[in-house]
Amino acid sequence: MTEADSATWRVPPRWVLLVAVLSIVAAEVGGGSMARFKVELTRWARDGMLARPSVHGLVGVRDVDERILDEALVKFDAGLRLFHMHAEGMGLVIIATSMVAATVIPNAAARRTIIALLTAGGAGYPVGYLVWSALIPSHGLERSKTIAEWLVWVPFGTATIVALWCLAGFVAWAMISRRRA
Amino acid sequence: MTGRVIVAPAVLAAFVAVGAPALAHHVGAYVPKDNAVTTNFKQVKFSVQARKFDVALRLFETGTLRAEMRAHAATLPPGLEDGTRAALAAGDGPEVERRLMIFFAALSRDLALEADRRIARPDATADARVDTGKKFLEAIWRYYNLVDFAVATRDNKASVAVRLAFDDAETYVKPATGGTAPVDPVGLRKPLQRIAQVLSTLIESSSTPPRRNS
Repeated sequence: MTEADSATWRVPPRWVLLVAVLSIVAAEVGGGSMARFKVELTRWARDGMLARPSVHGLVGVRDVDERILDEALVKFDAGLRLFHMHAEGMGLVIIATSMVAATVIPNAAARRTIIALLTAGGAGYPVGYLVWSALIPSHGLERSKTIAEWLVWVPFGTATIVALWCLAGFVAWAMISRRRA
Repeated sequence: MTGRVIVAPAVLAAFVAVGAPALAHHVGAYVPKDNAVTTNFKQVKFSVQARKFDVALRLFETGTLRAEMRAHAATLPPGLEDGTRAALAAGDGPEVERRLMIFFAALSRDLALEADRRIARPDATADARVDTGKKFLEAIWRYYNLVDFAVATRDNKASVAVRLAFDDAETYVKPATGGTAPVDPVGLRKPLQRIAQVLSTLIESSSTPPRRNS
């Protein structure tokens, strides 16, 4: 009987659990900071945008600019909220999926690769929202979104999606093998 | 079959299903909010409609609407602020509506004139000027839309003319279906000038209170 055939759930490696817990801790700290420093954060973002009128397309007419600033500030706040939400959720996703991987994948190399992808993707993806928010005042809405997409969301999101599909394949294979046996 | 093999796919399926939307990196949607002027206008308008003129007067005296009327006094018909206040104190709903209509028509006209000036500047690229025009159009519509009904009930031709000019202007800033918007800031100036002209005429013709007994 191999390790993967044992009838009990296997705990994923400790570093994986540590990353998942740190992700959840970061989410909680982020959420708390958002509430505690809401005024300071908004002021910082607003000052950053006013310092770069051309980046945000400000025209110097209050009736026009206030809507542009409001939209950017709403998105800035949304980015922080989404980081909080995703980091919290992905921490749990890392724990659950890496536990499934540790339990059902018999091949050690495949197991390690999928767990690494799940952990890196799950922990990295939410950081994209933080990056997006942080870049809005200096790079504008669309450019900051593009940077976050190519720097964080696409690579880490892809890692998670690929790992999840591979894991689904392994689970399906395990089920088929058991039926045949 | 062990329980582990039954539970594992269920857990996986749940996380794939839940995780899929999260991985689409949605960034939320923005719904434009009222600014201080439009909020105060709505407060006053609804108070007047409810015949709570004391509440409307208090909201007007302490709100942004009055401050803005003072700030724009140079471009408004003389006595607009005092007249609005007097109409509220007298409980004259139609007169309050007429004066607020003039105020927002004037704000929209000033924005249209400013947009035309900005778009005429040769120091910016055509794309930048069209982008500026788009932002001004949004601001113009936000104010004009508040009083369009009041305008239509008094001067239907003016209301239609503003709407047509606005639609015309939008064709220069919004991409057509299956294509891109023509980058023509010069073309955008014409409907903006038309909006300003129609609103100027409206303000002029509406600035005299109607004779009710005739």
